[in-house]
Amino acid sequence: MKKHRINNIDQKKDIWLYIDFPLLALDAVLTDTDNTQVESAIAIASLQKNVQRIVCCNNHAQKWGVEPALSLSTALTICPDLLVLSRNHEQEKRLLHSLALIAYQFSPEVIISDRGLWLELSGCDQLFHSYSKLLQRLHRQILSLSATATTGIAMSPLSAQLLCGQKFQYYLPDENEIHRSLMATELFKLPGNQKQKNNFKQLGLESIGDLQALPRSALSQRFSPELIETLVLLNGEKPCTLNRFTPPVEFSDQIQIPQGLYSKDSLLFFMKTLLQRFCLYLSARQCHCRNIVWCFEPLLGKRQSMAITLSGSNNNWPSLLTLSRLRLERLELPQSIDQISLFCDQFIDKPELSFDLFDDQITLDNQSSELIDNLYARLGVEALSQPSMSEEHLPENAGSIGPPNRSAKTNYSTSKAPQPLWLLTEPTRIQQRNKQLYWRQPLTIISGPERLCGNWWQSEQQRDYYLACDSKGARYWVFRESMSKQWFVHGLFA
Amino acid sequence: MPSKPLLKNLLSRQDTWRGRNRSLRKHVITTGNNSLDRLLLGGWPVSALSELVSQQDGIGELSLLMPTLKRYANEDKLCVWLDPPYQPYAPALVSAGIPLDKLLIVRSKNSREWLWAAEQAIRGNALLFAWSNQTQPRYTDLRKLQLAASDSRSPVFLFSSTAALKASSPALLRIELDALKANVLLITLLKLRGKAPGAKIQVSLGDESTERTELDKLPVNIHYPRLKKADYLLPLKPEVLRLNT
Repeated sequence: MKKHRINNIDQKKDIWLYIDFPLLALDAVLTDTDNTQVESAIAIASLQKNVQRIVCCNNHAQKWGVEPALSLSTALTICPDLLVLSRNHEQEKRLLHSLALIAYQFSPEVIISDRGLWLELSGCDQLFHSYSKLLQRLHRQILSLSATATTGIAMSPLSAQLLCGQKFQYYLPDENEIHRSLMATELFKLPGNQKQKNNFKQLGLESIGDLQALPRSALSQRFSPELIETLVLLNGEKPCTLNRFTPPVEFSDQIQIPQGLYSKDSLLFFMKTLLQRFCLYLSARQCHCRNIVWCFEPLLGKRQSMAITLSGSNNNWPSLLTLSRLRLERLELPQSIDQISLFCDQFIDKPELSFDLFDDQITLDNQSSELIDNLYARLGVEALSQPSMSEEHLPENAGSIGPPNRSAKTNYSTSKAPQPLWLLTEPTRIQQRNKQLYWRQPLTIISGPERLCGNWWQSEQQRDYYLACDSKGARYWVFRESMSKQWFVHGLFA
Repeated sequence: MPSKPLLKNLLSRQDTWRGRNRSLRKHVITTGNNSLDRLLLGGWPVSALSELVSQQDGIGELSLLMPTLKRYANEDKLCVWLDPPYQPYAPALVSAGIPLDKLLIVRSKNSREWLWAAEQAIRGNALLFAWSNQTQPRYTDLRKLQLAASDSRSPVFLFSSTAALKASSPALLRIELDALKANVLLITLLKLRGKAPGAKIQVSLGDESTERTELDKLPVNIHYPRLKKADYLLPLKPEVLRLNT
């Protein structure tokens, strides 16, 4: 039985999914702008060999007869209302990387091509129960980035690309079906120069099946070695050597808003989008972030940035958005914002949590770091502090207030003498009136002294600490400085 | 006839009054002092706001809560001190057995921030000690805190000044603290759901001697080594302390 299963794994073939984004250039430019333009005919044009040519266009433009590779002047003649946008390679690349991050959730092997993605899917069905469920979810996520996608599935990357159809298919065709359609694919789709294509025509070869039927030795004599290489890749006889996609070590993403944003509330929608992309990235890298930096850039003037420090547990977008919103309240923003960017370069490995069925310890710990993050975001770093202790003799040095440090050392030797819970930030001088100490009220010494010396390398401090109380019963920590013979109050026994 | 789960839900609510039945408030934690526990019908109420009105600072108002603080901090819960009137002295906290990394001091700039931070701390299930130094919070603000506390799993303590006594409070428990003499605290019950107000008890805070010493009769410190040349390092002598010379 076991042997049988091992054989099965050995025989398992690669399943390559190619996702093509025919309107990538258009989607990249349109994602960040508002949707009102979708109703009109839009095309993307770029300069090719000194002529402005259409790269891609939407359905409305296609109805008018506009098509890729058409020169811009012709396109404008047949469709006078055509809205022409220039191609933005930078944004296309960014969109393709976001799409690759999405794909990375579904398969560990993702390859980025010029206008599409390859995914190796064999074995990935286990997590999603079936290939069709996987494909459905994948498509839904791709649609969330408003990208138009079509797919092809085959046993090798190149054949998957050749079989790429007109729509996103949700079922996995069986091997024979794939083979049949691959053999029927027309030869002009195969990469290669025009001369080679003409040669095929002269030889009466029309489909890949015709080509495959010929002996390899004969083909290698007639055609260039590249064709043989292509056929080897097409049949999956050699493993694919293209570079696999890995998430970058830093996260940086931005959204441009050409129409400008004028209120903090309207910023939140775009911040949400960015955070959702960021969380995809975090889950792909399997890590938590330590801090995130937002940058708000106006068209004119200085840009504003805000950093949010995290204790490490908040890695879902709703809580990151809450923190960003709280922090945003304290920020003075320029009048109109043109571009929002999110940046993160500090990560920690995701802690390996084992969940107990009954214990809610983990949620408790999460809750307190979430609370600290919230307080940080709204009140600022300076509002939060923590008492800390150091091995010093003078009380003001021994106990101080510092920034919260959750891994502070706590095992110190402590004094047996009574110590006050409240310390005055500075010792306050008290008066003496006829053998009587006086601070707000007459004070009486109850116990003491405890002598504390310190600072001997600078100015010698020698203090005798006493416990004093007033007529109402409140107790104070007072000391007499040996040098100046002055009395001071330094703390309260609350 | 009401359905059973509905009735059960109703009875499990904190604010359902059930006559003289004292099992009404089951969620309490011990104060660490038996007589105080008896006064408070078992201990500090959990999931509720408790208001401690102190006649003045330094009478031992915080020492009363040290056992509770220690317990929560050692249970790995965060303890938030909102706007404490003075700086907490770390060595005293460490000797009381409180891990410092569980303590968080929060300073608010105005009453809005104060209320927000308090509510966040309660909803984050932290143990909250809040001091109302800047302005006395309004009834509606305290009501908000009480409502938030009823959903949380920790007690909430609010330290107020005597000025707060002029107004009524939505807190479930309100006690007044006064010092009879040093180390002895007089606790007066002003409000507690399920008990008549007015009960008083005395709580001793420690066994330190309360014998008073005149300034000119202070003891000589004999533990310090006698150094001959440096005058200022000489230990205290009674005549040095005589002030009227």
